[in-house]
Amino acid sequence: METTISKTTAERPTLAWLRQNRGTLAVLVVLLLLPFIIAIIDGQSISSVLANESGNSKFFQGLLIEIFILGLFALSYDLLLGITGLLSLGHAMFFAVGGYLTGILIKSFGWGLVPTIAAVTVAAIVQALLFAVVLPRVKGLTFALVTLGFASVFHIVVQSREAAPFTGADVGLQGVVIPAFLDPVDQRLRVYFIALLITMVVYFLYQRFVDSPTGRVCIAIRENEDRALMLGYNTFQYKVIVLLISSLTAAFAGMLHTIHQPIVSPNIAGLGYMVIALLIILIGGVGTLSGALIGAAVFRLLDFFIDRWFGEAATFLLGVIYVLLVLFVPFGIVGTWRQHSSQFTHQIEAIIERLRPKKENPE
Amino acid sequence: MSDDIILETYNVRKEFGALVAVADVSIRVVRGTLHSIIGPNGAGKTTFFNVVSGYLPATSGRIVYNGQDITQAPMHRRAHVGMGRSFQITNLFPNLTVLENIRLSHQAVGKNSFRLLRSHRRFGEHIDRADAIINRVGLTRYRDLPARTLAHGDQRKLELGMILAADPEMLLLDEPTAGMASDEVPELMALIQEIQAEGSKTVLLVEHNMNVVMNVSDMITVMHHGEVLAEGTPAEISSNETVQQAYLGNLYENLQEASDHA
Repeated sequence: METTISKTTAERPTLAWLRQNRGTLAVLVVLLLLPFIIAIIDGQSISSVLANESGNSKFFQGLLIEIFILGLFALSYDLLLGITGLLSLGHAMFFAVGGYLTGILIKSFGWGLVPTIAAVTVAAIVQALLFAVVLPRVKGLTFALVTLGFASVFHIVVQSREAAPFTGADVGLQGVVIPAFLDPVDQRLRVYFIALLITMVVYFLYQRFVDSPTGRVCIAIRENEDRALMLGYNTFQYKVIVLLISSLTAAFAGMLHTIHQPIVSPNIAGLGYMVIALLIILIGGVGTLSGALIGAAVFRLLDFFIDRWFGEAATFLLGVIYVLLVLFVPFGIVGTWRQHSSQFTHQIEAIIERLRPKKENPE
Repeated sequence: MSDDIILETYNVRKEFGALVAVADVSIRVVRGTLHSIIGPNGAGKTTFFNVVSGYLPATSGRIVYNGQDITQAPMHRRAHVGMGRSFQITNLFPNLTVLENIRLSHQAVGKNSFRLLRSHRRFGEHIDRADAIINRVGLTRYRDLPARTLAHGDQRKLELGMILAADPEMLLLDEPTAGMASDEVPELMALIQEIQAEGSKTVLLVEHNMNVVMNVSDMITVMHHGEVLAEGTPAEISSNETVQQAYLGNLYENLQEASDHA
């Protein structure tokens, strides 16, 4: 359906799309080449990178895969909180359900990758609908607390001794044998490219969604839900759509997490992990989408380098940095940057407006 | 007048605990007329209005719109049967542009709201309609500015534009001139009257300043203490003894002024 319409206006929209997204596409190209660039700087040969031999390149691929996973997780949270204005404190569950289900199905039940993907999809839909059930009954902060309740129950179940044979309880889920072609150690470059591709595709789909008629209604709900209702929008339906998209994204980010990490720790189901998503979009800019990805990179790299350089003082320094970020970059990196550039264009527009002779007001 | 009733309420009652805000109000609004509800502050006008528009549930009574019982219909359903309302306190999407405010209003009554992956710019009908409305209410210069940056009077015009965009049969306007500079009021009222006349729309208007509605209304309902005190044409209302006796204060002077104008 889409293609028949866009074919009539052949190349031009494609060119316009390329121009619009040139920044993102440039980042994509850099990220595609990065494993090789790092290798060259490090004096490693290209063929050894392709053979997944250990070295700085392989190490940073692992770090970037973590960033992609965090980015997807934060992106799904930004859609709820930043775009639709829906405050959920149970977002870690969205992620952990995907992570644990993948691990348990592969390890304890010997499922293959395709049925596991199907099961994660179903689980993601079910948990989104679970949140949707309480949605019309509780508003705002109460909804946040109810979702926190759901997530806490899940966290407790995952850690319980009864579930230990499946989840590994406090120790975490270990010994998940990932199919050889996705092995995070032997096939890291492939996993890197797959994670990069998924992140970029999801990011572009999210951007399209937010720009679509449905996405615009979600923004209207964030701005003034009563008014949106009064205009005739059944806002509940839109919130359910957003919950479904967000839950699916987070669950698949969780699945990637299980594929990439040797241990699935119960921490990913806890409140602390949800706060990471919140922190990431605060750093990157709430409601900006790209901020979720940039924030994830800043968060993970800061964490890594400060830990490497300062060791024990790292936690304290990170705290100071986050306080400074909130003080001086209040709308996040992307949000503050956009505001400055739009203020600049507004000033120019205002000057042009003043110079232009007034056409209205015939009196 | 003819019997073509578009909206009828039967003994609509709204209680907040022990307080009876609206006590069994029955009104009939004739299609194609400009019907005003007036009364001093606290008369229950806005509460009645909120019940009619579905913002508050009625305690008892029935609301019939175009022969359809809408007493239980939720807010978002009423927009789809042809009712559009404005709020006394300006109620916009403050951070969205003027264009987007109106575009969203038109999209709401269309069929494109569940398109998830195409840019909203590809649905030109909504943008074209929004641009026409922006011209109509005289906000062309502010098209791409966020609604919050507009002056109060312009925000009231935007509010009116948002209702118009949905092309409702009936406009429910809650003190459309509230907080406007006095020289802007006649302009907005003239605009409302024009819109009503050219689109043969029905307008139900709530106002506490009688002067504003005297010259433009076809029918006036006076509310006091949650009840209907009087109903009639502007001429009948301004010469009504009960109305005058009940409001020896402010309203009496307003009535005097109004009849002086007439």
